[in-house]
Amino acid sequence: MAKNLTGDLQVASANRLVDGIVVWLDEAGQWTDRLENAAVARDKRNSEILLDRARAEAFTVIDPFLVAVTEDDDGTVEPLSLREKIRASGLTFDAIAADAVRYA
Amino acid sequence: MALYSEAGLPASYVALPFADWKARPQWPAVSLANTDPVEDLAPHLGRLRLIILDFPRFSDGRAYSQARLLRGRLGYRGELRATGVVLQDQVAFMLRCGFDSFESEQPGFGEALAKARSLFSVVYQPAEDDQVPAALRRLAHGNAAAS
Amino acid sequence: MPDTHFYRYDDYDRTLVSERVDQFRDQVRRRLAGELTEEQFKPLRLHNGLYLQLHAYMLRIAIPYGTLSSRQLRKLADISRKYDRGYGHFTTRQNLQLNWIKLEDAPDALAALAEVDMHAMQTSGNCIRNVTADHYAGAAIDEIEDPRIWAEIVRQWSTLHPEFTFLPRKFKIAITGSPNDRAAVRVHDIGLRLWRNQQGEVGFEVIVGGGLGRTPMIGKTLREFLPKDELLAYLEATLRVYNRYGRRDNLYKARIKILVHEVGVEKMREEVEAEYAATRDGLRLPAGTIEAIARQFAPPDLPPRPATAGRVEAQRLSDPDFALWLKSNVAPHRVPGYAIVTASLKPAGSPPGDASATQMEGIADITEAYSQAELRVSHEQNLIFPHVAVEDLPQVYRSLAALGFAEANVGKITDIIACPGLDYCALANARSIPVAQRISNHFASLARQHDIGDLKIKISGCINACGHHHVGHIGILGVDRNGVELYQISLGGDVDFGRTALGTILGPAVTADKVVETVDAIVTTYLDAREDGERFVDTYRRIGAQPFKEKVYGPL
Repeated sequence: MAKNLTGDLQVASANRLVDGIVVWLDEAGQWTDRLENAAVARDKRNSEILLDRARAEAFTVIDPFLVAVTEDDDGTVEPLSLREKIRASGLTFDAIAADAVRYA
Repeated sequence: MALYSEAGLPASYVALPFADWKARPQWPAVSLANTDPVEDLAPHLGRLRLIILDFPRFSDGRAYSQARLLRGRLGYRGELRATGVVLQDQVAFMLRCGFDSFESEQPGFGEALAKARSLFSVVYQPAEDDQVPAALRRLAHGNAAAS
Repeated sequence: MPDTHFYRYDDYDRTLVSERVDQFRDQVRRRLAGELTEEQFKPLRLHNGLYLQLHAYMLRIAIPYGTLSSRQLRKLADISRKYDRGYGHFTTRQNLQLNWIKLEDAPDALAALAEVDMHAMQTSGNCIRNVTADHYAGAAIDEIEDPRIWAEIVRQWSTLHPEFTFLPRKFKIAITGSPNDRAAVRVHDIGLRLWRNQQGEVGFEVIVGGGLGRTPMIGKTLREFLPKDELLAYLEATLRVYNRYGRRDNLYKARIKILVHEVGVEKMREEVEAEYAATRDGLRLPAGTIEAIARQFAPPDLPPRPATAGRVEAQRLSDPDFALWLKSNVAPHRVPGYAIVTASLKPAGSPPGDASATQMEGIADITEAYSQAELRVSHEQNLIFPHVAVEDLPQVYRSLAALGFAEANVGKITDIIACPGLDYCALANARSIPVAQRISNHFASLARQHDIGDLKIKISGCINACGHHHVGHIGILGVDRNGVELYQISLGGDVDFGRTALGTILGPAVTADKVVETVDAIVTTYLDAREDGERFVDTYRRIGAQPFKEKVYGPL
């Protein structure tokens, strides 16, 4: 069951400068492209600390910000908002494949 | 804030803000906000040695129009200085609009200014510099053949 | 390389593009080295077409006046494979977007574009953007003069214009050379309409302050008739007035349409005419310049071909899909024996306007074999072959079908215009592509689509209206309420046949799962009420919104 209806759980996210991809700050203060490795702040005070750490590491990313997440009993973290869900998991439809040609 | 000038030594007058200068229009140096009407300077341009125009944000491009009007329409020949947020990546545009001195805090600005005129050897439109637009160069030698 | 029949770069053009690539390469180096902040760098990358979306940088490649050669299209396919994920999206401003570009690769991608005389200059940012034009230019029966001549002249004048690179906001110009405006000139910051006056002279009507977005407005006539050689002087005057007096205090009030609205078109005209009077001599176009450019747009020599062809007629009779395709996707050409063919980039269920690299190459093959090596992009996210011999229509159809681009739906209900929406764009409130896919799947039957007739659905994922929903016959606007995607439906918008109208909101926004049935109810209402072969939008104008409201929301 997902927890965090009050938005207390936060991760820090940004787009990486060199290639634009979505990244999250991990416990070691590194930017990871895997949401499951993101450091989770569990209250307001720790969220502020997390954002400060993200800003301190901002040399390689663009404009870090906090993202509210839910956490399942098994520890699976998922963003609350649709926008952040899409940022985390990609397009919600199948993009045309590189070699796509459909045969009539 | 460092001062850079293309033409050697920048003018060292104390510039009066526009409202104050209007009360003393014989003063040879004035600084304008980018909303001040440059047309009001017209009767006094012969006396002015230094006009300072402002870029409160580098993305606020009003001073480019002020500069062109002063140089082109009104024929001002004294020093035209850019102040505010003045960055090397805009200096080529500023030069084309007729600025010839700059106040900038940015490291490396002086080197960038020295190279700015050589960034683009081709321009498409006339401005307040002496670069000839491509259309006229084409006419001049009977339209260079496309390759 | 086949000769093109549109502007061909000379050494001046190539030098400028190459110098620009060098400049940007250095700016990227300085950004990655930390010598430039993001705030300082952002306008620089926008002015080179690089726009940050949700997942990655997007590169918006300029396709001036929507015209490109088969050779250029092949290069775009190449670039999409090498630097992106092997597909691209054709936009409502006739450009191409690649959605997964890396900043560190951008200079190389731009250098590759430069090899085929293409670029991404000024496709983003608060500057003068790609000038769009009628996608049937040079081929349309009703054309007075090819608008692309002037689009090229404006393109050059506006490129790296030192005075107008930091405007209050973006600036979009569109040009039509035909009374049937296929360029939507009345919803652009400046629209230019070529027309012939009573003295037989051709000049421009200059329309100012149109635009969609938060405050949609239809442009007003600034100057009824402007001699052609005065165009740049007049544009420079207008841009200068805008640059000086456009609002800079509020991002949402910074377009020229707001300035026109606030001071009134008479005052605007006064200011522009005064500025123009003072500057006109310096920018009057020499006849030689105009001729040199006009010559490059001289139409190709199209050898006479029969106006009807036996095998076309035979296939029309035996193949119902081909028959429908002839009706919807093929338009008459000014030269007898030729036709204008639209490749529909809206196959049922597909993201509108997208093409894979392989599909692009297939289109390039068709372009070379059957369309004088020239292709167009329409602002409705389709591709157009401007010069196809009628006799070749069966082969073109077959080749398009192999690519999946032969759906007979141009102008029909599944020819949907949709912005990228929340799947791609950081500005969006809701997704638009999945909505387009669901509608398109629901109405996939060609027979039904042709029965419904001309009906343009336009979908925007947010109020910025990149999907042009305000001017859709049915407009759909994605909104967000408490994290839930909702869709506001409007009816009666139009930009066709010289008529510009903004749609009216039908009622409360509906949830994503209700959009298809809502559109279905609207269509049913139309079909029940239509008279004498009326189009949807004509029936709407005749009977008003009430019957539609009742069908969708229930009796009041």
